Amino acid sequence: MILHLNHIQPDRAALASSVVSTLVSIAGDGQIQPRILENLNVHLDWVQYKTNFREAVTVRRATRGAELLPWIEAGVDLRQVQPETLKSEFISALQDVDAGASRKRIYLETFAPMRSCLIWRFNNLFWQHLPLWESASGKGFERALPGGKSDANHPDAVADAVADFWTLLKDLENHHQLPAEIFVLEIGVGTGKRAAMWLDRFRALDRERGTQYYPRIRFLLGDYSMPTLNRAMETVREHRELGSFLAVDALDPFKSLSFLRYKVLSIHLTNVYDNLPTDEIVVRDGKLYFVEVRSYVPAAAATHISETFGIPITDFERTVTRLLEVGPQHVHPSGVEKGVAFWRAVWDAIRLEERFVAIQTILDAPLPTGLKPQLLESFVGEGVMNQRFQLSSGAVESFLNTVPLLHPRGYLQVQDIFVTKLEDYSRMFRGPGKMDGSIVNWVNGALLSQVGAQAGYDVHFAPFLYREGSRTSTLYTTQRE
Amino acid sequence: MNLPILPTTVVGSYSMPGWLERLKTEFFARRISRQDLDEIHDVAVKAAIKDQEVAGLDIITDGELRRDNMIDYFAERLPGVQTDHTSKKFYYDFYDSVVRGKLPMASLRLTDDFKFLATFTDRATKFCVTGPHSLVKRIRDEHYKSEEAFDMDLARVMNMELKELVRAGARYLQIDEPYYSGFPEDIQWGVKVVNTLVDGVDAKITLHICYGNRYGKPSWAGNYRYLFPAILEAKVHQLSLEFARRGGEDLELFKEFPNRFELGLGSIDVKTHEVETPEIVAERVRKALKFVPVERIHVLPDCGCLHLPQEVAFAKLKAMVQGTKIIRKELGG
Repeated sequence: MILHLNHIQPDRAALASSVVSTLVSIAGDGQIQPRILENLNVHLDWVQYKTNFREAVTVRRATRGAELLPWIEAGVDLRQVQPETLKSEFISALQDVDAGASRKRIYLETFAPMRSCLIWRFNNLFWQHLPLWESASGKGFERALPGGKSDANHPDAVADAVADFWTLLKDLENHHQLPAEIFVLEIGVGTGKRAAMWLDRFRALDRERGTQYYPRIRFLLGDYSMPTLNRAMETVREHRELGSFLAVDALDPFKSLSFLRYKVLSIHLTNVYDNLPTDEIVVRDGKLYFVEVRSYVPAAAATHISETFGIPITDFERTVTRLLEVGPQHVHPSGVEKGVAFWRAVWDAIRLEERFVAIQTILDAPLPTGLKPQLLESFVGEGVMNQRFQLSSGAVESFLNTVPLLHPRGYLQVQDIFVTKLEDYSRMFRGPGKMDGSIVNWVNGALLSQVGAQAGYDVHFAPFLYREGSRTSTLYTTQRE
Repeated sequence: MNLPILPTTVVGSYSMPGWLERLKTEFFARRISRQDLDEIHDVAVKAAIKDQEVAGLDIITDGELRRDNMIDYFAERLPGVQTDHTSKKFYYDFYDSVVRGKLPMASLRLTDDFKFLATFTDRATKFCVTGPHSLVKRIRDEHYKSEEAFDMDLARVMNMELKELVRAGARYLQIDEPYYSGFPEDIQWGVKVVNTLVDGVDAKITLHICYGNRYGKPSWAGNYRYLFPAILEAKVHQLSLEFARRGGEDLELFKEFPNRFELGLGSIDVKTHEVETPEIVAERVRKALKFVPVERIHVLPDCGCLHLPQEVAFAKLKAMVQGTKIIRKELGG
């Protein structure tokens, strides 16, 4: 057995020590088959999110084609694990190691690359039925964010962003290059509060400086969730004549906005990239794997949920499928409230089983559309021996499908949680986690930097300094010479 | 060499294959030799020539596939310009280049490229060079007192090279000056520099001015009004301008400012992979004919095809040729 201590929270050092000694004693007392023990790699991780898709002990196997490779990886989540139950959980997790499936789980799908996994349909469900979820939880979705509100709406941050934008417009005007219509785009509009604050501030600044730019602003608010767009429309009603509300797929904004090619002077996204589907790559002893997952609900939890909602356990999987197909309003005979409660219970219980699929080169992985494979080759070819990182597939696609909208002097700003150096993935497990009813992943900023360079943009990251303790930073682009 | 009415050509570059990008970068990583890369370039250029011929172009270039980008190929060759060869990893990036003293007169050794091109095609050929104004914007100056002075001296050196190319048989030369559009305030002295550059050069000379094509996207926005009336003093035969992506509004300038120039009509948008139909190209030519007589129009893409996939570039050029043929037929050609 090889033990990997990937991250130890300073205030959990004693726990980590206890976990290590427990594992050593398990290894020594003969409860694990020698064949398994000699191929076992145990990773002690700190999972970023309190609610996530793991159990305290997760076992992962690796495959090459139809062959099951001998080495076994066990992930121990130092946040969830209890020293007193570790031993039983660890041994239990290894018992199913050779079985194709565990009888302790109700599987909701077969193995698939992570970005195609069922949890993204839950994510979609959340945004499409947001008011129902919020009504049941009794709080708006922004309350689930660290600090209880979005950093995007910080007045000082908005004021600085507006000032920078005004300066750009002035410079364009000085060079006789200011377009008649000044397009500004926000994708993923949240409550609409940032857009309203931005417009308020811009109007005030414009009046103060007498520049007459405000009436030329065409502020486009794009989101794929109609409930969200409707809410935003109400929030920015004071600027209604300048605003347009558009159904925009964050993965491909160009699809609906191609008429604005090279015309948009400012594009902003907050907390969007971290909510887009992603795949993951694992490097172990220099060999490459991509991660496949299948979602499941632990049998005990499924039984409990079934009993609570009066659904036969044999109908559990079918009922979940129906929830995703028709929505929470129609899933339970007692009505929408029960439907939403069922949804929330399943979401709370849902977990991901993982397996690592061996690949010869990175080109065999499910790469984000539009990403030049040679770029990723050089990205993972920099002496990486043991690493697990996100491809941030959705974020890469979104970036590549957004920048063609930018005016030659325009810029993209993305406020989110970024991993800006590949080696930082070693220090923490960066998702996926659950954020209320949605999914959150850290975003591979290091990869986005390279993607940007190939697309003609230098990508920079500035820490968000307006709120102490904020983990977000702002990606912004400048034209690459 | 007799050309038909509405001659067709490219602006200069042809599609850069992905494999060639990788091999160029391998060269910078010292994993393949200069000799190997030269041989690879020869093969790629021959393929680019063949593609242009099969697409039906009347005037052929070497596709500029030997060049890393529009600056470094010249900066490396300019006598007196120092380039830091450790300053880039990816072939398309720019070197850090600097001039620290007056430029001496010496050859840029471009004639070999032209001779190679002429060897492998029987059609008319065009050779393209990056103009001094664009080079000045990317080469750090630690000697001259002004950009204009640096630019003028570059023109003096490059004038000799253009004459060398003519001696080697070049009949069509093109000067690329996209940076005009980024620095429209330079146009007055920019034209003087061009006139120094072409002084005594006995060839048909095109001045290509677009809005940039770095990474396959525009670097600047605006319109061509800034060129006029200063550009009327330029001692070139043809202005090659982009109209496909931007629309034909600026064609009005040819009416507003009567001139003697031929128009290199940008009729293919090189910043989208969507292939134009011949009818679209024909319509763009028809529109231009309202402002410029047919005998003074050449048909070409907006800019180089460098960033287009090969199959897209080839299809676009074919559509451009077919669209031009529609107009020739309409005109009884």
